[in-house]
Amino acid sequence: MSEAQHSIILSIEQLCFDYPGRPVLQELDLALQHGELFALLGPNGAGKSTLIRALCGRLRPHKGSIQVSGLDPHRSAAARKSIGLVPQQIALYRHLTVFENLEVFARLAGVQRVRVSALAQQALDQCGLESVAGQIVSELSGGWQRRANIACGLVHEPALLVLDEPTVGIDLPARLAIEQLLTELSGQGMTQQMTILLISHDLEQVERLADRVGFLINGRMQHVGVPIELLSQQFGQMHEWHVQLEQKPNAADSELLNRLELQPEPAAGQLYWRGWLDEAQQAGARMQRLEQAQIAVREWRVRQPGLDSLWRTVYGMAQPESIDQTNEALAR
Amino acid sequence: MILTVVRAMWLGLWRDRGALVLAFLFPPLLFIVFAEVFSGSTGEGLELNIAMADSANSSFSQQFVDSISAIDGFVLSPLSASDSDIDIESGLSEAVRTGQADAAIWIRTEPPRYPDSDLDGEAPVLVIGDSSKALAVAVVHGRLQALIQEQFPVLNVSRAVTLVDALVGPYSDEQQQSLEELIDELELESASGESDGSINAGSLIEQRMRQSEAGIDDDGGISYYAGAVAILFLLFSAMQGAISLIDERSSGIVDRLLAGPGGARVVVIGKGVFLTLQGLVQVSIIFAVAWWLFGIDWIGKFGLWLITALLAAASAAWLAMLMASLCQTRQQAQTASAFLVLILSAVGGSMMPRFLMPGWLRDLGWLTPNAWAIEAWQGVFWRGQGAAELWLAWLVLGASALIAMCISIILSTRMSRA
Repeated sequence: MSEAQHSIILSIEQLCFDYPGRPVLQELDLALQHGELFALLGPNGAGKSTLIRALCGRLRPHKGSIQVSGLDPHRSAAARKSIGLVPQQIALYRHLTVFENLEVFARLAGVQRVRVSALAQQALDQCGLESVAGQIVSELSGGWQRRANIACGLVHEPALLVLDEPTVGIDLPARLAIEQLLTELSGQGMTQQMTILLISHDLEQVERLADRVGFLINGRMQHVGVPIELLSQQFGQMHEWHVQLEQKPNAADSELLNRLELQPEPAAGQLYWRGWLDEAQQAGARMQRLEQAQIAVREWRVRQPGLDSLWRTVYGMAQPESIDQTNEALAR
Repeated sequence: MILTVVRAMWLGLWRDRGALVLAFLFPPLLFIVFAEVFSGSTGEGLELNIAMADSANSSFSQQFVDSISAIDGFVLSPLSASDSDIDIESGLSEAVRTGQADAAIWIRTEPPRYPDSDLDGEAPVLVIGDSSKALAVAVVHGRLQALIQEQFPVLNVSRAVTLVDALVGPYSDEQQQSLEELIDELELESASGESDGSINAGSLIEQRMRQSEAGIDDDGGISYYAGAVAILFLLFSAMQGAISLIDERSSGIVDRLLAGPGGARVVVIGKGVFLTLQGLVQVSIIFAVAWWLFGIDWIGKFGLWLITALLAAASAAWLAMLMASLCQTRQQAQTASAFLVLILSAVGGSMMPRFLMPGWLRDLGWLTPNAWAIEAWQGVFWRGQGAAELWLAWLVLGASALIAMCISIILSTRMSRA
């Protein structure tokens, strides 16, 4: 990559924003480089929407600063022009065709009239929408609407593309097509690389797509880094052990499962249990214990921890110390 | 950018055929219905069911009943006169109370043709009505007065002579004879149809009908209701159009646009301009129909009409945008818009002429765009006024549009910052 490609597109420093009586963003720092795809992770209510509104210039930070392409989006129309927002909803004029929507959003993003058609055509090409360009949006399938939704966000060639749950509610082929599109947009081969800020609750998708991820915890950006590095730092060589039971265990069975340091998944009716292993081979001996106790197991597996494991850890759905407890139990 | 929003909204309307029909076909249809219904509310063309009883049962009273039944719009339902007076009166009252009859006429005694009646006695003809249909009673009463004047002038003369006799003393035999000869002569003229109604019993009823200064063949109803329906539909369709702002807010379109360089101002102004233009087309269609079917001088007064129409459309559009800016959800906006349109239209005179309202309500009506728009269009088409007389209405309509636009932009900008 050239030096220019490493330039910072989005810079957030010590950002604070409060709603009355409720701090939402607290001394948040984040910097995105040109051409990277960054995934912002966090549960509902963590402040992701507030952060997006702030970086789109709709909210004035109470403290700290935001700069997009070196300009404050709250004050500078040029900064806002360099942002493309793809909301979670299908934010399109439903009675207009795909091409007409592209023209409208290009004009409203400040593109000069003479360039509108060319850029709309370019967005069609980028998103593979040529075959439906003349169709009314309301008549398209959910997958095509999602693609058109993205196309309208990038039609004016923004430096920063913000995508809020771009694949929610669509089938697998459509989701894979959009993931391919996002990979291309941020990667090589496109006329102009974009920096992408992706918000998604699909952690497997994030793991596949994101160059870096960050977790929004109590208004602060934490655990920022490359997914595989974060997982390595957090879990080392640990393996995750999943057990799915045939039926809900009785008290004695639950006690045994607990002794094996398995924890029931919340809200899964005690059918799904999860634990940690130093080595994958340890699972065999433990499964024998369950078999001896005649606990019917439908399925079990051992896997490398993923972002979902990290999610559980950082948001307290699995106690970090339980890893150590498991190790101790295994040692016993 | 503003034109882009206008174009997007136009394409949305053009492709939603149901909305297109509602916006441009429904208003003139409703106007025709209103015009037909309300322009006849002066009494012409009314059809009244009237319960009738004749207790006098003489050849003269029968002649009187026949004349009543010949009145255009009167449908008589005879009641048996063989019962007692109490039964007849209660029977007629019951017919009115239950709604079987709009009013009732009871000929209680022989109408006095000669001046020997007792002034203190009860009137020979009784009209019974219900307060909920006061207009029907008034119409029946007026028609009876006209009938007596035109076909039975002798009754009026006899009444007057009796009054003079009671006040200034008895007539001499010679005077009495002369009066009876005159009355016989009048009866002969009435019977032969030669009466010119010149004997008016001292002009008991006076009517004065003002004609249009604009010289059109209109009793005021057509031009009134063209304006009344126009402003009603301007408000109605503007409110529906403005609700799209809330839809776009919830669909994320506004989020996307607010992230752009134009911000809330472009979105709001674009929508307001579109709604104003849409309203102008609606009003044009309504008045074109009024010109084509009812002879309103639309072409001759086009300039004054256009200014009024543009300002009325702008006022309605920006009031609607203000309403949409204040509402958070579609549900809120729908309820608010229905309420607002109904209240403004009712108080402002779109549903019934304001002169029929109590004084305080007439004054309240000046707070509505309806009253000013109707007043201005009445001024153009009925009173033949020019810009010198219409400026106040134009000023109020224009100022209301401007104020509502500024508040809408401020509210939307605040909303975009939240």
